[in-house]
Amino acid sequence: MDEGTVRRVAKVSRLDLTDDEVSIYAADLEDILSAFAVLDEAPTGEDFDLDPVPVEDRLRDDEVMAYPDPGRLRREMRTADGWVRGPRLA
Amino acid sequence: MGEGAPPGMSVMDLLAAVRDADERHRIFAERLEDPLAYEVEHAFHFSAKDNLCTSDFQARAGSRILEGYRPPFDATAVARLRQAGGLLIGKTNMDEFGFGSFSTNSATGVPRNPYDAARSCGGSSGGAAAAASMLEGHLAVGVSTGGSISCPASFCGVVGLTPTYGRVSRWGLIDYGNSLDKIGLLSASSGMIRRYLPAISGPDPLDPTSQVQPPLDMSGQIRSVAVPEEALTGLSGSMRAAFEDAVARLERMGVEVRRGAMPALRFALSAYYILATAEASTNLARYCGMRYGDIEQETDQSFNEFFSRVRSRGLGREAKRRILLGTFCRMVGFRDRYYIKALQVRELIIREYEEQFRSVDAVLTPTMPFVAPRFDEIESMSALETYQADFLTGPPNLAGLPHISIPCAYIDGLPAGMQLVAPRWEEGRLLSLAERWENGFEYRRPEGRA
Amino acid sequence: MRIGLEVHVQLPTRSKLFCSCSTSGDEVNSSVCPICLGFPGSRPRLNRKALEMGVSIAKFLNCDINEKVWFSRKTYFYPDLVKNFQITQYETPLGKDGFFTIGGRRIGIWRVHIEEDPGRIKRAGRSGEEVALVDYNRSGVPLVEIVTAPDLTSPEEARAFLTDLLIELRRLIGLSPNDETTVRADANISVGEERVEIKNINGLKSIEKGLKFEAKRQSKLLAAGKKISRETRRFDEERGTTLPSREKEFEEDYGYIGEPDLGTFTIGPMARAMKLPETPLARAARLEAEYGLAPTSARQIVLTSWELADMFEALARRAGSETATTWTLGAISAQWVELQERYGGRLEETIVPIIDDVRSGAITDAEARMRIAVLAGKGSEAAEPSSSEDLGPLVSRLVDSNPDVVRDFRSNPRAANFLIGQVMKETHGRYASKEISEAIRKELEKRV
Repeated sequence: MDEGTVRRVAKVSRLDLTDDEVSIYAADLEDILSAFAVLDEAPTGEDFDLDPVPVEDRLRDDEVMAYPDPGRLRREMRTADGWVRGPRLA
Repeated sequence: MGEGAPPGMSVMDLLAAVRDADERHRIFAERLEDPLAYEVEHAFHFSAKDNLCTSDFQARAGSRILEGYRPPFDATAVARLRQAGGLLIGKTNMDEFGFGSFSTNSATGVPRNPYDAARSCGGSSGGAAAAASMLEGHLAVGVSTGGSISCPASFCGVVGLTPTYGRVSRWGLIDYGNSLDKIGLLSASSGMIRRYLPAISGPDPLDPTSQVQPPLDMSGQIRSVAVPEEALTGLSGSMRAAFEDAVARLERMGVEVRRGAMPALRFALSAYYILATAEASTNLARYCGMRYGDIEQETDQSFNEFFSRVRSRGLGREAKRRILLGTFCRMVGFRDRYYIKALQVRELIIREYEEQFRSVDAVLTPTMPFVAPRFDEIESMSALETYQADFLTGPPNLAGLPHISIPCAYIDGLPAGMQLVAPRWEEGRLLSLAERWENGFEYRRPEGRA
Repeated sequence: MRIGLEVHVQLPTRSKLFCSCSTSGDEVNSSVCPICLGFPGSRPRLNRKALEMGVSIAKFLNCDINEKVWFSRKTYFYPDLVKNFQITQYETPLGKDGFFTIGGRRIGIWRVHIEEDPGRIKRAGRSGEEVALVDYNRSGVPLVEIVTAPDLTSPEEARAFLTDLLIELRRLIGLSPNDETTVRADANISVGEERVEIKNINGLKSIEKGLKFEAKRQSKLLAAGKKISRETRRFDEERGTTLPSREKEFEEDYGYIGEPDLGTFTIGPMARAMKLPETPLARAARLEAEYGLAPTSARQIVLTSWELADMFEALARRAGSETATTWTLGAISAQWVELQERYGGRLEETIVPIIDDVRSGAITDAEARMRIAVLAGKGSEAAEPSSSEDLGPLVSRLVDSNPDVVRDFRSNPRAANFLIGQVMKETHGRYASKEISEAIRKELEKRV
């Protein structure tokens, strides 16, 4: 895990890192990923599931149930005329 | 004597006990302070780990980035305990978003061990374990992803039950890893857990993963256990000895103990950290200063800079480390070797346990490789070393199996727990064994406990 | 030239894909809840109807259906995306490797899957410094994404493909009334070797326009000996041009993982058991094959109305293709709107007897056309005949004023036809043509 990779991963995950931090994390992750290499030996099959217990075919009927207080949710955010204010786009 | 207080403690006594415990051990991120609130009629008092949403307190999950966030709804588990007559007295301190085994990664307060304030409570449900330990008759709701109920239960000398994945609805739980998070209970002894586990269990339409469970069956016994040899390496000398004493006691109780091997266990911890951090790195993407918590007022920056700035100042070091690790493990070119492989390894671990359960009722190991470390010892541990401390709690958590940590020894006055893992849905037999254990083994309460 | 499309169509469910909020909200940020706002602690629940619609589309497009599917998290950061990840289907689309036929050509369909829509951004403030204002009513609305192979060969063909696709989807699942403008597409187009992507174009007209502009732009570059760089562009509605995408400066790594909160879905049996309704263009193809209709005729009939096609088939079975075609495309189509308004649901039983009468000779073509016009409410003049005379005296009068017909009738009985026509004109369909011709023959025979 070199510093270049750490910078790229930080960018993808929207984290600003100082040079010191890049250094520290690179060393940590190098360490950790070396330990993870043990998985290459694991005698696994191709199969996998997303959950440790079978969660299958859980569906919800197409019925409308309006949330009772959307205003409460809007008050949690910064709004202008009901629109949620976000950052600059460019 | 207040009408609502549990037998043996007046309202004012309870309030004083809570305040005292909190001031000395920094248990609560936020708590009930108003005496009138304590007068409300209740059958028992409980606390909720601060990653559980409740509308009467902030939910910060140990993070600066959720500073000021008051959820508009209650987590289902909390609502159900209120319905069962519980009074919520506070939100307990934790590692940020669940990232840690010592509750030291907290922006809202680092809880101190009830037996020795210079030591960690364990994590990430450190505050919950401390509350259970310090307050008489208290029920603490905790959350485990890789061992965050078992570890603090062991370090704080309390019983900690982690139910099967999907047993308790996760609606209202601020996510760490969606396929690994389980809401569970901690208490000074097993009775409160036994009584209130049914209240928080059961299907919830708001959480599809909670809808596949069979009904909770509290009968069930443990007559035989397997101790895998892999669990006995890497322990401190005193932990090894204490554990063997506990095993001998179990045998005297009539439990058959078989020694065996579970070779696949050595892969579990890596697979756990890959899946947990991969899922966490996506769960934390939403914290970007726009819709709740730390809302950024300055909009003069382009959105990428805006998001990065908020996240970098609001997220702690361990959170960043896990986001980087988890993001990496699912990126193009690495995803197959790490993320997909980890999913496949989970199946391997599940099958390894199923193999054991053909011949025994539970798998028994120590909960942690050592007793609660001092804060200065933790400072000098590397990230990898802290992760490796989870090698005993990681496997049942990865496999989604129910497990319990029961205090089984005191090493130089510090508690140590043993961990039993049962097949899916068999919480009942774990609690039965705990009850039997408590008939013969006397728990030592910390000094200064209410 | 090769063009491929990634088409997004909103599924017409009542509630959103992962929560029970209505898909139609009026006031900004009114149809929202903790789930479609991505509040901490919230989690998704899949809409059954959306899944069924998605599967029916995959089946309709002749895809191989995946037995078991699940959902994925596609992580990227943008103000309209409440969780900063979109729940979509990466590893397991509902179906893949299908096709859709236009103009006799098969256009490959690479995949069909469902996913959630992000919110809607409005730009506010000075150009170059615009901030995002977001309406999350749209956040969580279900979309079907249909990805084609780069088999389309022109912007016009791309538009025709989308037009036809929407015609079929309207019948298959129903769509919103303004679906032609709410459909969105990312388009890939290569005039030469290199592919350029134009992202997020709204509506069929803009999609064609954007592709036309881009095709021209690439051709000009190639003609000037320049290279086309592989890039992502956006379409500027106002100017009608494509421009380099200004905002997403670096390649995102979406880092797909499964969505554990939803689990898995077994859709194989559902797909196999599904009986899809016949769609308009499929019906047109069948009409061509079964009745020898020309493609344009078949298309005209089915696109006018489903009931018109029903009537055509009923007529064709009774009277043969040619008769059915003539009448359907002629008099009946011409008055279809009025006929449907007045007799919708009973048109077959109202009109078929009129054609039966023509075939048996009971009435003439002209009379049949007149009757249809009357049905359509256009024959109000027919209600008042110009002559109020009874048939007998009228026929007498006409025979009197046409002695040459009487003379010709002696050697040629068909001379009577001229008079039949006259009487019909004057009586405006008041009498059956059989009745009129009998009356005329009787009168003529009297004089002969």
